Amino acid sequence: MRFSRVVIAVCFCVLLASLAVPAQKRKTGPAKSPAKPQKPIVVSAIDTDALKQLISEQRERPLLVNFWATWCDPCRDEFPDLVKIDNEYRPHSLDFITVSLDDFSDIKTEVPKFLGSMKATMPAYLLNVNDPEPAISLVDAQWSGSLPATFLYNAKGEVVYKHMGRVDPNELRAAIDKLVKKTDE
Amino acid sequence: MRNVAILLAFAFVIAGAVIGSGVRAEGEIPAAPAIGATIENFTLPDVSGQEHSLKSLAGKNGTVLLFIAVQCPVSNAYNERMEKLAADYKAKGVAVIGINSNVKEDSDAVKAHAAEHKLTFPILKDPGNKIADKLGASVTPEAYFIDPNNKLLYHGRIDNSRNEAQIETSDLRNALDAALTGKAIDKPEAKAFGCTIKRA
Repeated sequence: MRFSRVVIAVCFCVLLASLAVPAQKRKTGPAKSPAKPQKPIVVSAIDTDALKQLISEQRERPLLVNFWATWCDPCRDEFPDLVKIDNEYRPHSLDFITVSLDDFSDIKTEVPKFLGSMKATMPAYLLNVNDPEPAISLVDAQWSGSLPATFLYNAKGEVVYKHMGRVDPNELRAAIDKLVKKTDE
Repeated sequence: MRNVAILLAFAFVIAGAVIGSGVRAEGEIPAAPAIGATIENFTLPDVSGQEHSLKSLAGKNGTVLLFIAVQCPVSNAYNERMEKLAADYKAKGVAVIGINSNVKEDSDAVKAHAAEHKLTFPILKDPGNKIADKLGASVTPEAYFIDPNNKLLYHGRIDNSRNEAQIETSDLRNALDAALTGKAIDKPEAKAFGCTIKRA
């Protein structure tokens, strides 16, 4: 009787130990592969001359340029659509850059913070000029500078589509589709 | 034939409904009057609901209409400059009138904002952005300077930078100074940069 109690106690301990070992393994074993750390978002300053060169040069692929600012509500509202479009087209057939017209003091704070929250990975610039008028005029003489503004350039550097105000993603896709093929096609 | 007529009638009804609803695509802002054009007198309520005509508020040597906002950081960066402009040119017979056309900023918000930032020039509310449409105003801040006969002399920005330390050209002041001394305005138009006016 006494022996059987000892046997039961030993079996119970073994059972507990067998349960505890995998539990420990779960704790100390290799953790789930961590999510890829997001690359820090770098926003580059750009002046009027550099912007001119960027948008007017002949290139291999069409270029989509979105002018925006963190204080511009419709800019923020349309950004998720732009990120989707970027993911669909940029890997294979389209260059896409954003140009922020925020204050220069926001280049390392508000602008990358917003882009990070949007998971935006396209090259990001901030227009660093004392006077935005020459830059606005060189992009489009008819553009008042109101934001957001989106321009699509073909490979020759010619504007083939432009939209002031919140962009209609379907309209923008249609314009891009005339120039390129989507990733999943 | 009857089917075609029904289809046409249907199309007209739809088109009428769209036009009648005042639906306007974003970015479609009426063109601003040309420099030299005459701005018609208009009447708008102030933040207390009292109506004022442009004529009743106009300065004897001209009037500056400033489209401004409560929440726009660019417009707000100009609060002190706008107040100083109003004070400096009041003595020279030029009146400054603020206009808020943003649909989301009601009279109470405009009143509180003016008190907070010590804006003493009259600020009018533009319900339905009718005056912003008439003048083709698209952003805040955006300035119009008219002479005593309501002739448009200058349209555009106040100066080149929201950052006061980076001002290189005070376009609005330059236009006012030129007009007040009988000289031609070198640059009667300069693109205004700021937050889009939130229209109804």
